[in-house]
Amino acid sequence: MGTKKPKSKTSSNGNRPRNGSRTTNTHAGTAHVGTAAPGRSVERSSTGSPGEHLRTYSIPDYRLEHPNFTVRQRVEKDRHGAEHVRYEVEGDLDAPVPPILDSKYLDQQHAIEIYRYMLLNRKMEIALENLYKQGKVVGGVYFGLGQEACSCASAYALDKDDWFAPMIRNQGSLLVRGFRASDTMMQYMAKADSPTKGRDGTSHFGDIEKRNMVSPISMLGDLIPVMAGVALGARLQGRSLAVMTYIGDGGQSTGVTYEGINFAAVQNLGLVLFVESNLWAYSTPSEMQYRCKDLAERAIGYGIPGVIVDGTDACQVYDAAREAVDRAHRGEGPTLIEAKMMRMKGHAIHDAASYVPKAMYEFWKKRDPIARFENYLVKEKKWLTPRENDAVIAEVEEVIEAEREIAVKSPMPAPESAEGGVFCENGCHEIKPKYGIPKVKKGAGGYKETEAAVHLK
Amino acid sequence: MQLTYLEAIRQGIWEEMDRDPTVFCLGEDIGIYGGAFKVTDGFIDRFGPERVIDTPIAESAIVGAAFGASLTGMRPIAEFQFMDFIGCAFNQISNMVAKTHYLWGAPAPLVLRGPSGGYVHGGPFHSQNPEMWFAHNPGLKVICPATPYDAKGLIKAAIRDNNPCIFFEHKYLYRRIKEEVPAEDYVVPIGKARLAREGRDLSIITYAAMVHTALEASEVLKNEGIDLEILDLRTVSPLDREAIAQTVKKTNKVIILHEHSRTGGLAGEITAIINEEAFDDLDGPVVRIAGLDSAIPFSPPQEHHYLPKVEDVVREARRLKAY
Repeated sequence: MGTKKPKSKTSSNGNRPRNGSRTTNTHAGTAHVGTAAPGRSVERSSTGSPGEHLRTYSIPDYRLEHPNFTVRQRVEKDRHGAEHVRYEVEGDLDAPVPPILDSKYLDQQHAIEIYRYMLLNRKMEIALENLYKQGKVVGGVYFGLGQEACSCASAYALDKDDWFAPMIRNQGSLLVRGFRASDTMMQYMAKADSPTKGRDGTSHFGDIEKRNMVSPISMLGDLIPVMAGVALGARLQGRSLAVMTYIGDGGQSTGVTYEGINFAAVQNLGLVLFVESNLWAYSTPSEMQYRCKDLAERAIGYGIPGVIVDGTDACQVYDAAREAVDRAHRGEGPTLIEAKMMRMKGHAIHDAASYVPKAMYEFWKKRDPIARFENYLVKEKKWLTPRENDAVIAEVEEVIEAEREIAVKSPMPAPESAEGGVFCENGCHEIKPKYGIPKVKKGAGGYKETEAAVHLK
Repeated sequence: MQLTYLEAIRQGIWEEMDRDPTVFCLGEDIGIYGGAFKVTDGFIDRFGPERVIDTPIAESAIVGAAFGASLTGMRPIAEFQFMDFIGCAFNQISNMVAKTHYLWGAPAPLVLRGPSGGYVHGGPFHSQNPEMWFAHNPGLKVICPATPYDAKGLIKAAIRDNNPCIFFEHKYLYRRIKEEVPAEDYVVPIGKARLAREGRDLSIITYAAMVHTALEASEVLKNEGIDLEILDLRTVSPLDREAIAQTVKKTNKVIILHEHSRTGGLAGEITAIINEEAFDDLDGPVVRIAGLDSAIPFSPPQEHHYLPKVEDVVREARRLKAY
C-alpha cells in the first residue's frame, strides 16, 4: 500500500501465531511435547476428500498398551422375567500388564520419593476408611485408589513457586505439596484444627501464602479458569508459572471446562491440566460422557498440545507433567494431559460401585500403580532392595499413625466459630502482589475525556 | 468538573489504574473498542494490552480468571457487557468467589461491574436488575450508585476493597445525568446510605435510577404539601440498617421503591429490617413499588407498564399520606 509500517511490538496476550494445532504438513515433527513419542494421528478432512486437503494432527500417546474395551448398557431378565438394565464390558480384558516406561528425567532418588508419596497417599486413605468405620468421619470419604501415580507424580513435577488445585481424588497431590496427612484427616473429621477450622471437609482447603494451593469447590471445572487467572496474575508480576489442576472424564463435560481451557489457550497461560480418565463418573461410564476416542483429542480443538499417558505408570505421568511444566515456565502456554486409569472404589465410601462390571476391576487391579512401581523399583531397576522397601513402607505407616493420632486428638470446633470471617476486614489480610509490583506502561498522557462524557438530553 | 455518570465511572477506574499497578481490566470488547458503552474507552492505549484484556465470550472464565489473579494479589476489574450475562457466571461467583474468605481465608479483591437496568427498551436480556441474586449471597458486596459523584467514589472504594464487589451501573443514567465531581481523590464508603432529599412526611427508600424517579415525584408532591424524604441506599449489600431505621423514625411512613421484580425483592428484606428496628414508629403499612413478577418486556408500552414510574410513586405517596 506504500504506507510505512510503524514500529510495533507484540503484547503477551495478543498477536501470537495460533499454536498447538500444528499440522504435519507445515510443522512436521514439532507436534509433540518434548521429545518425540509414539504419536497417534487424528485425521480431519475439511473437504471430505483425502489427499492434499487432509490435515493430520498428532496426539503423542506414551502408553505401552492400549486397553480396548467398551462399556454399554444391556437389558437382562431375571428368573421371574423382570428386566434389569446393567452395564456390561466387552473387549480384551486378559491383556498382559505392560512394563513401566523408563522416565527421561527421574533418577533413583526422585523415583523413590514419588513411590513414598504414593504409599503415603494410599495408607492415608486406608486410615481414613478405618476412621470412617469407627464413626469418626463426618459425612463420606473419597478415595483416589488406583490414581495415586497420577496425583503424586504430577504434583511432583511442580516447582516450589508453581500453583496447583486438586480435585477430590488428588489427596496425594496435597502430600507432595507439603500438606500433612493430618490436614486432610482433620478436614474429614470436621475438626477445629483442620485447615478450614471445620468450615469445609475433604480436600477443600487452600493456602495462597506458602503452598500455593487454590481450594477446590464441589462444582466441576470451575478451577480451570481460576488457575488460568493465577497464571495471568503472576505473569502481570513478571513470572511465568505453571498452574496445575485436574478434571475427570465426567467433570470435563461441564461448560466451564471449555471456557477455562480456551481462556488459558488464548492468553497463552501456563495451565497444566490433567484430565483423569478414570472411566466412571459416579455411576456413569465414560462412554456416556463423551463421544471422541480420547479426551486428549480435545486439545486439538483448543489449539494446544495434548498427550496421553498411562495413569497407573508414575514415570509416564511424571514425564508428561514435567514437560508441560517446563513449557509453562518458558511461557509457551497450556498443555492437556490425559491420564488413563480406573477409579478403583465407588464415588465415595457409601457407594459399593456394583454397577462396575467385575472384569474391569480385575483388569485394573493387575495395573495397580503402587504394585507396578514397587515391582519396577525393586525388581526391574533394583533401586530398592526388598529390605529397603520394607523400611519405606514401615516408615510411611509410622507417619500415618502419628498423623492419625494428631487428627483424632483435635477437638471439634466451638459452635460459635461458625460466625465471622465472611469478609476480609479490619486488616485481617494485607493484599499485595505476591511476586512484586507489576511493571506498568508509563503514562503517555494523562486522563482525557472521551465520548463517554457525552451527556444526552 | 461536570461529569456524566458514565464518565465518572470511567475516570474512577482510570485514576485507580494510574494509582495502583495491581489494578487491571478484563472483559469482552473492552480493549480497542473501549467497551460496549465506552467505559474503558482509551484505556488500552494508555495502560497497554497487558492491563486491558479482551477476553473470549466466556463469563465463567472471566470471573474465574479475575478471581485467580486476585489470589496473587492483583485487583482485577471484570466487565460484563450487560449485567444480564452475570447469570452465565453465577456458579463461579456464588460458589467460588463469595465463599472463599469464609471457608479458607483467602481474600478475593476483585470487582465485577457492568450496566444493568431498564428504561432503555433493551428487552428481557438487556434490562435486568440482577442485584438480588447476589444480595442473598454472603461474602459479596453489592453496589448500585445513583449519581456521578457516588459512582466515582464507590467504584474507587470497590477497587480498593479487599472483598469481591459487584458494581451495578444503571445504563439509563449513563449519559442522562451530569453533576459536579471534585477533581481531587475521594471515595464513598461502601454500606453507607445517603439522604437524597430531606423531608418530613414520608420516606422513600430506594437506590440507583429509582432515586431520580423519587426525586421527580417529590417535585409533584411538593405542590400538594407532601414533603418526601428520599433515602438512597447506594449499596444493596451490606444494607445501611441504621439509616433505614432513622428515616422511618423520622417520617413514620415508608415506601420502598425498586426496579426489580416484587416477589423476593429487596423491599421484603427492608420491611423485615423496619419490623426489627422501628416497628413501633410506623404509622402506616410499609408500601412496595416494584417491577412486575415477570421478565422485562421489550416493547416500549409494555416496558413502561412493567417498570415503576413517577405516577406510581405519586399515587402511593398520596394514599399513604392519607392513611
